[in-house]
Amino acid sequence: MIPNNLRVVLIVLVISYFIVILYFLKQKALNLKYTLLWLVAGLVMGILVVVPELLTKIIRIFGIQDNMNGLFIFSIGLIILILLSLTSIASRQNRKLRTLTQEMAILDKRVRELEESARKE
Amino acid sequence: MGKQSKVLVIIPAYNEAENIVHVVKHMMETAPQYDYLVVNDGSTDSTLKLCKQENFHYLDLSINMGIGGAVQAGYIYAYKNDYDIAVQMDGDGQHDIAYLDRLLQPILNKEADVVIGSRFLEKEGFQSSASRRMGINILSMLIRITTGKKVMDVTSGYRAVNRMFIEIYSKDYPTDYPEPEAIVEAVMHLGVVKEVPVQMRAREGGISSITFKKSIYYMIKVTLAILVCRLSYGVRRGRRGEIEEGVVNDDTQ
Repeated sequence: MIPNNLRVVLIVLVISYFIVILYFLKQKALNLKYTLLWLVAGLVMGILVVVPELLTKIIRIFGIQDNMNGLFIFSIGLIILILLSLTSIASRQNRKLRTLTQEMAILDKRVRELEESARKE
Repeated sequence: MGKQSKVLVIIPAYNEAENIVHVVKHMMETAPQYDYLVVNDGSTDSTLKLCKQENFHYLDLSINMGIGGAVQAGYIYAYKNDYDIAVQMDGDGQHDIAYLDRLLQPILNKEADVVIGSRFLEKEGFQSSASRRMGINILSMLIRITTGKKVMDVTSGYRAVNRMFIEIYSKDYPTDYPEPEAIVEAVMHLGVVKEVPVQMRAREGGISSITFKKSIYYMIKVTLAILVCRLSYGVRRGRRGEIEEGVVNDDTQ
């Protein structure tokens, strides 16, 4: 199993991870909506550090023999999930930006026309 | 409809300083009965300056969004200003305004909802290179397989749509290389798509937006887009009729 000193280091790392997230949230540098996935990831990490036996059990259910392999597969899966959600957020923002730009251009034309007619009067 | 149909010609322009003045002036001389709207797609050259100077009707997109976003801006404008028919025509001088009536006729006769100006029906005028034609034929076949609709010149950006599709496109228009995908969207909305023969010219100036380097990417992207677009509609769903009622717009004069 994990040696005790490594476990302490990992616990400290997970705690600082949460502190960084909370700091960003407090600074409004992160939107809570988009932070939920990261918080869940931290929670999973925390649980695994405290009860590493859980990881072994889950990995065995999936038929993976090596602990480290299992850990990597799960972490990569989680990271892909988070990246996918980020791409989806970027795409949605792209769409909103497009609508905004178009509406702004139409408003801009209207303003020009109004200025024109105001000048004539 | 008939004579009182309001027609808007949408002219998307990205870095078309060399062509835009000539294109618009030519249209004002030969087809003054129709409104036009230049959509400056965040050009980095003097396109915007020229539009201001010449006092053209134009929309100025502050961010470059690609042809899809620019054309859609035109459709939104047409929708808000109660136009009956919108025509999209490239700002690079490839499309000849002389064929405008040919494009409008099927819509005025209520024979079609979307009319596409096709280079390949009579095989006259600029026919593009052999490799381009091959790519276009592949996409044409793909659209035929996925939707059952035969369109020869799927990449033609010279098209006219009626009020129903002004509304549909103003809400949802494909991005990047939108032309083939927009046909699929039209067929999926049970629109009647018709091709009419037009002649196109080689570009008068500037450079084409699709260089040889990008053509592979183009084919992959458009093929995927057609498939995704087709799949996202699933079993054909009709929206005919339900959209024409309730078209009320009060936020523009």
